[in-house]
Amino acid sequence: MAINALGLFDAPSSALEAAGELKGAGFEAPEIISPIPIHGVEKVLGKKKNIIKRFTFFGALFGGIGGFALAAGTAVLYVHVTGGRPVIAIPPFLIITYELTILCGILATVAGFFLSSRLPAMRDRVYAPEAAVDKFAVTVECEDSEQFRRAHEILQNAGAEEIRELGGSE
Amino acid sequence: MSQREIAYSEVNDDIVRSLVVTGRNYYITLAVSILVTFACFFGPWFYQIQYGIGAAGMNHPTVWGTYLASFIFWIGLSHSGTLLSAVLHLTNSEWRKAMYRSAEAMTLFSVMVAATMVMVHVGRPWFVHWAVPYPNQMEMWPNFRSPLMFDVMAITTYMTGSIIFIYMGTIPDFAAVRDRTTGWRHHMYVLLSLGWRGTDTEWHRLHWAYTFLAVLIVPLAVSVHSIVSWDFALSIVPALHQTIFAPYFVVGAIYSGTAGIVTVMFVLRKYMKFEHLITKLHFDNLGKLLLVMSLLWTYINAVELFTGWYSESSEEYEALGFRLFGFYGPLYWEMILFCAVAPLLLISKRFRTSFVPMLILSIAINIGMYTERFLIVATSLPRQYLPDAWGMYYPSLVEILIMIGSFGMFTTLFLIFVKIFPSVSLYEVKETLPEPQPKLRTQSESGAS
Repeated sequence: MAINALGLFDAPSSALEAAGELKGAGFEAPEIISPIPIHGVEKVLGKKKNIIKRFTFFGALFGGIGGFALAAGTAVLYVHVTGGRPVIAIPPFLIITYELTILCGILATVAGFFLSSRLPAMRDRVYAPEAAVDKFAVTVECEDSEQFRRAHEILQNAGAEEIRELGGSE
Repeated sequence: MSQREIAYSEVNDDIVRSLVVTGRNYYITLAVSILVTFACFFGPWFYQIQYGIGAAGMNHPTVWGTYLASFIFWIGLSHSGTLLSAVLHLTNSEWRKAMYRSAEAMTLFSVMVAATMVMVHVGRPWFVHWAVPYPNQMEMWPNFRSPLMFDVMAITTYMTGSIIFIYMGTIPDFAAVRDRTTGWRHHMYVLLSLGWRGTDTEWHRLHWAYTFLAVLIVPLAVSVHSIVSWDFALSIVPALHQTIFAPYFVVGAIYSGTAGIVTVMFVLRKYMKFEHLITKLHFDNLGKLLLVMSLLWTYINAVELFTGWYSESSEEYEALGFRLFGFYGPLYWEMILFCAVAPLLLISKRFRTSFVPMLILSIAINIGMYTERFLIVATSLPRQYLPDAWGMYYPSLVEILIMIGSFGMFTTLFLIFVKIFPSVSLYEVKETLPEPQPKLRTQSESGAS
C-alpha cells in the first residue's frame, strides 16, 4: 500500500519550492493544499488542462438549440394563432433561447467543475486541516518507505515545519 | 489595505465565531421577523386564498397592484448582489471580497421573496405549475410569446444561477468551517463542503468554473430585469409602452440593489462585529457606485418625461400628468427627493465614509425605489385611452400587510443564512491580506525572500 508524505509550510513560497523539488526528484504529481489559491503553481507543477470550458460551451449550445426547439416545438404542437402573429415567432422565442442557453451553460459548468475536480469526494483523501487556516501543505504519494524517506528529506530541506506520514488512498 | 494587521487564523476565528456564537439580540430579531412573516405575510395570504383575490384592492382597470410592485422591487433588489459580485469578480476588484457573499445572499433571498409575490399575485397559486412546459393530459403548452412566460424562464434561470453561484464560491469556506465545528454543524458542513481539500487542482477548477459562471450571470442578470420591464412595456398602456423601460428597470434594479447592499453591510458590520473586514473603503466605493446609478436613474426618468411630452399624444399627457400631479403625485415627488436629490450628497467623500448617514440614505433610496415601482403600476393603468375606462386603485389592508410581511420574510431568510453560510468569504479575504513569508531559518538553503 502506498503511503503519503505531507509537509506543512508556513509560506506559499516554501511550499511551491518543495513541490518543485519533489517533482524534480521524479515524484509523480505532488499536490499543494492551501487555504487560498496560490499564484505561480502552474509554473512549478505544470499547466493544468481546463476542460470546464468545453462543458460550458456545449452546455450553452445544447441549451440554445433546446430552448428554441422547446418554444417552437410546443407552439407547433398546440397551434393557437393570436392577433395574426406567426406561430413560430422569432423575436419572443429568441428570449426563451437566450435564457435556456444561460441556464444549461450554468448547469453544465457546474457538472464540469464537479467532474474535473472529483467532487463530491466519496472516500477519505490526504488532508491536513491546518491547510484550511494558515498552513500550506505539500503531499506526495510514495510507493515504499525508501521513497518516503527521500520525500521526507526534500520536504525537510525546503523548510517544512512538520512532516506527517499518512495512509494512502487505495 | 487597511486590514494589514490581521492574520489568516484570525479570519477563520472571526467567521467561525459569527456562525457559532449567537447572542440574545439575534434570537429576538429572528423571533420578531418570523412573527412578522406569519402575521403579515402568510396570515393575510391565507385569508386571500380563502376569500378570493377580491381581498386585494386590484380591480378593473387596475389589475396590477402592490403585489406586482413588490415583485419588481424584490427582483430589483436582487440585482446588485449577483450582478455586482460577478462584474467585480471579472474586473478583479479587490474590495468586492469582503462583501460579495452577503450581497449574493441578498440576491438569492430577494428572488425567492419575489417569486412568492408572484404566487400571491396570481390568486390561485395551485395552478402555477401551468406555467411550466411539461407534457400534460390537457395537451396544452404555455404560450412562449407572452412576456409572462419570459419571466418564468428568466426568473427560474436567475434563481438557479444565483444559488449555484453563491454555493460554488462558498465550498472552500464550508470546508474551513467544517474542520472547526462539532456536532450537527460539523455533519452539515461535511455534506456542504463535498470533501473539498483545497488542492491546487481544486483551486484551478474552482477559479475557472467561477469565472465562467460570472460571465454567464452578468448578461443573465441584465436580461432578467429587462424581461420584467417587458411585462409592462409590451402592453399598449400609455406611460408603460416605452422602449426606455428595459434600461430603466435594469438601472433602477442595480440602484436599489446597491442601496440594499449598503444597508446589509451596515448591519453585518455592526452586529456581526466585522468592523475590520468591512471598512470605510467599502462604503466609499459603494457610495460612488450609488452616485453613478442615481445620476443614470435621474437621467432616464427625465428621458421618460421628455419623450412623453414630445410625443404630443393626449393619452401620454394624461398618464404623465396623473403621475406627477394626480392623487399619487406627492409619492412621485417623494421618490424624486429620495432617489434623485438626496443621493447628490454622495458627492462628498465625508458623507460616503460616514456609516450612519450612508445607512439612512440607503434606506431612503429603497423607500423611493419601492415608490417608483408602485407608481409604475398604480398611475398608469388607472388612466388608459378612454376616460370611461378610468378608475382608481387603492391598496387594501391585505395588500399592505403582505408588503410589510415580505420584508419580514426576507429578514428571516437572511438571518438564517448568516448562521449557516460564512457571511464573509474566508479565502478571498485572506487573499487580500499580505502573503505569509517563510520564517527566517538557520539552514543554508535559500528560499526566504
